[in-house]
Amino acid sequence: MTTGIEEVVARYQRRVFTFARYFLGHREEAEDVTQEVLVRLWRHAEGLDAERLGSWLLKVTRNACYDRLRQRRSAAAVVAPDLDAEVAEAAVSDDPDPAAQAEAAEFRHQLVAALGRLDEPYRSVLILREIQDLQYQEISDALEMPLNTVRVNIHRGRQRLRELLKEVYGHVATA
Amino acid sequence: MSPRPEDESCAAVLPLLEAYLDGELSPAAAAPVRDHLASCPACAAELRLATAIRDGLRGLPELDAPPTVLLRVRQEAGRAGVLAFRPPQPALRRPRLAALAAVLAVALLGATLLFQLLRSPQPVQPTPQEIAQATAQARYALAYIGRVSRRAGLELKDEILPRHLVEPAARTLSRSLGETPEPDAAPRQGS
Repeated sequence: MTTGIEEVVARYQRRVFTFARYFLGHREEAEDVTQEVLVRLWRHAEGLDAERLGSWLLKVTRNACYDRLRQRRSAAAVVAPDLDAEVAEAAVSDDPDPAAQAEAAEFRHQLVAALGRLDEPYRSVLILREIQDLQYQEISDALEMPLNTVRVNIHRGRQRLRELLKEVYGHVATA
Repeated sequence: MSPRPEDESCAAVLPLLEAYLDGELSPAAAAPVRDHLASCPACAAELRLATAIRDGLRGLPELDAPPTVLLRVRQEAGRAGVLAFRPPQPALRRPRLAALAAVLAVALLGATLLFQLLRSPQPVQPTPQEIAQATAQARYALAYIGRVSRRAGLELKDEILPRHLVEPAARTLSRSLGETPEPDAAPRQGS
């Protein structure tokens, strides 16, 4: 049984850490949340329905992230996303032009920063759908949100990102 | 160049760009958006930005938790006792059983002695030598139990307990009660 739990933890660690990492934008906080959630998973694994494990895990992760944000607000802490190194390391650019690569890296930086400025539920649905590639139904189950609301929030979230990035770049190139 | 706010066509199209991009508009709803984009450079640029955002998000990598986090998870789960269903290791089980057996053996000897004293009309009068040996064995037994308790986690030979504690104590008790020693009992030193 121990081996089974270890396999479940190994299988879901990426889902938990990815969500926490992009949601919080802060490495140490994301690590703490991941540890907290995976320990809870380990403790409750035997009583969990395997089919609902994924959505349970996302609910717990999201709640843990909310707790972190509350602590951060109470401490008046300002946290800038520090994802650049990890994202750059993992992101693959097929453009051989160094200038184009630098431009793409800058855009990713701004995109991640804008993602961190999104209100809920837009930030959650975009991470789950666009980065983690979850199906609408999985997101609907995890966030306890009607399927059509998930779809609308994904579009509104990206629309909000578009507005935020226009603030950064000042205008939209029409060329 | 951004769309002019007063342009009603742009205002109607801009909120639909993401759904249009994802192909989630009905053909009837998509047609006017497509027509507008073909004639409005500003909204076409917005569509390119929307495309870059969607593709940029989808190009962001999923991230693995660092190994140190997974190690801490195992350690914390272990501390919380959630690994209790892992089969106990032999090195931990045997000393505990030995300590329990020692306690039971002493309790059994005590109960037997008390029963014999209560049953016998004449109090047993052991010799000074027997009293001295019984005292030494009792001290050894107490020291041994303490040592076993402290050494939990170390491997212990099962036969130590009966050979060094139970059998000598039983022999002394038998002699004290005036019973015949068993033939295979070890000879007492100095006799």
